[in-house]
Amino acid sequence: MDREVGSRASKTLITALITLIAAIFLFPLYWMMVLATQSNSNIYNFPPPLWFGVALYQNWQRLIHGLNLGLAMWNSFYVATFATILVLLVSSFAGYGFSRFTDAPGNKVIYRFMIGTLMIPGTVGLIPWFMLMKWFGWLNTYWPLIIPGAANAFGIFWMTQFIRESVPQELYDSARIDGASDWRIYYQIVLPLIRPGLSALGVLNFLGAWNNFQIPLIILNDKTKFTMPLALTELNSLYSTDTAAVMLGTAVSVLPIIVAFLFGTRYFISGLTSGAVKA
Amino acid sequence: MFYVSVAPFIILFGIFGAYPVLYSFYLGFTQWDGLDAPIFVGIRNYVNLFKDPTFLQSIYNTVYIWIGSTVLTLALAFTLAFMVQMYVSTARGFFRVVFLFPLLVAPALTAIILSVLFSTNAGLVNAGLTWLTHHRVAYDWFSSLYAIKPMIILLVVWRWTGWHFILFLSGLQTIPTDLYESARVDGASGKQIFFKITLPMLTPVMLVSAVTATIGGIQIFDEPYVLTGGSGGNMQTGDTMGLYLYQTAFQQFHFGDAAAMSYVIFAMIVVFSILNSRLLRKRT
Repeated sequence: MDREVGSRASKTLITALITLIAAIFLFPLYWMMVLATQSNSNIYNFPPPLWFGVALYQNWQRLIHGLNLGLAMWNSFYVATFATILVLLVSSFAGYGFSRFTDAPGNKVIYRFMIGTLMIPGTVGLIPWFMLMKWFGWLNTYWPLIIPGAANAFGIFWMTQFIRESVPQELYDSARIDGASDWRIYYQIVLPLIRPGLSALGVLNFLGAWNNFQIPLIILNDKTKFTMPLALTELNSLYSTDTAAVMLGTAVSVLPIIVAFLFGTRYFISGLTSGAVKA
Repeated sequence: MFYVSVAPFIILFGIFGAYPVLYSFYLGFTQWDGLDAPIFVGIRNYVNLFKDPTFLQSIYNTVYIWIGSTVLTLALAFTLAFMVQMYVSTARGFFRVVFLFPLLVAPALTAIILSVLFSTNAGLVNAGLTWLTHHRVAYDWFSSLYAIKPMIILLVVWRWTGWHFILFLSGLQTIPTDLYESARVDGASGKQIFFKITLPMLTPVMLVSAVTATIGGIQIFDEPYVLTGGSGGNMQTGDTMGLYLYQTAFQQFHFGDAAAMSYVIFAMIVVFSILNSRLLRKRT
């Protein structure tokens, strides 16, 4: 792509402008961390603090007094991990089916139907879905946060594309001649080959589950079962004057994801962009 | 083997996806408290909905927030992508990821951060206004009738600009170089190149972005819920359709009305998607 546009001066100027916008985008997150280290009396004073303070330990004490932080983190981690594993299994397995058995009657029809389900907004079935959970006796359990999401049309779409591109049809033929069953081909040949695709989808799903709010809100009432977003919004409404502790809790919830993002930027970006460019 | 491989999806989708969506359509024609059997009432729920001022208000709020946030997000994302692609030659890797950070934060938590930024006594916004005007500003943004929707828009723009930016950037990178070169050889100006090549080539990506933003925007729930403490805000000025549906179902237990509402949401998304795919087809 030709990037010989504009003079040097305009390049510098625009780069500076974008840097400024980037700084504005990052500022709320920076400020959240600043407040997490400041005492409330500093926060409520004028001018407000813009640099880190020394009250981190006291804020931490009040935070873990106000909510069981470790438990909420564990709950989020537990739910997000199992939900992600299940999505990866179901999606890669179906993706294997769609991309390998292209001659099976119904393959194209089912695939198109599955893509069509992507257009159905989640809210439409919310009420009967909730009643179904009640009927299963799943209210106030983690099953509703783990099982239903496993039917992930986007994940299957993503896996089908990925397997089509990374596993050549000849590989199936030669494995077949060597006497490998369809199952063995799936877990011994396909799964290892699509690891990057699994990582990208996994990261994306983990993030979605970690940040989910509405479904835990209607399903969980027992405070010991709350996931991070629920526990923090509750803390925010009960201790709204303790800004420092609320900001510390928010920072603690965001930090693991930011660290994971910095280590796996590639997977995040390929996961995030996978859907739209092909459509 | 093919059928075995797609069976888990079909079974799970049938139980947790198709059945609730279809049953919701039926429930929309009933009155139901969630305990006794639903009573069939015909189209009464739909008639009542469009006489319910709060519901009409929630449609207005939702459309306001959806259009405002979609236009601003896409415009900002496009401007940034264009500028990065055309003018930035240093630290491109940094700019590629920096706008994605807000996307990592749960929407509910972005709302908490915003509520602190705009808080009456500890908020940076009021502090900034105090500094600018030399008067102590302690404006209560959350009981203002005009501030809540722009604040929700701000949250959506902050969260989603990076995602659309990445899509637009990779879209811009797929435009072949020779297209630009031959245009320049033919004596096209920068403006002409932008309007005749860059913009048309990127239109499909933008339409996809618009659909994604719409499906998310019309259902918006987390941000208004947290910002208004689940109430919909002063005079329901922050009540979106997603939030009002939640209130109707899970606070008032009018499941029939809420189901009818969910189909109004569905209809709005379907209409928009059809318009959008018409636009897309006209172009190709």
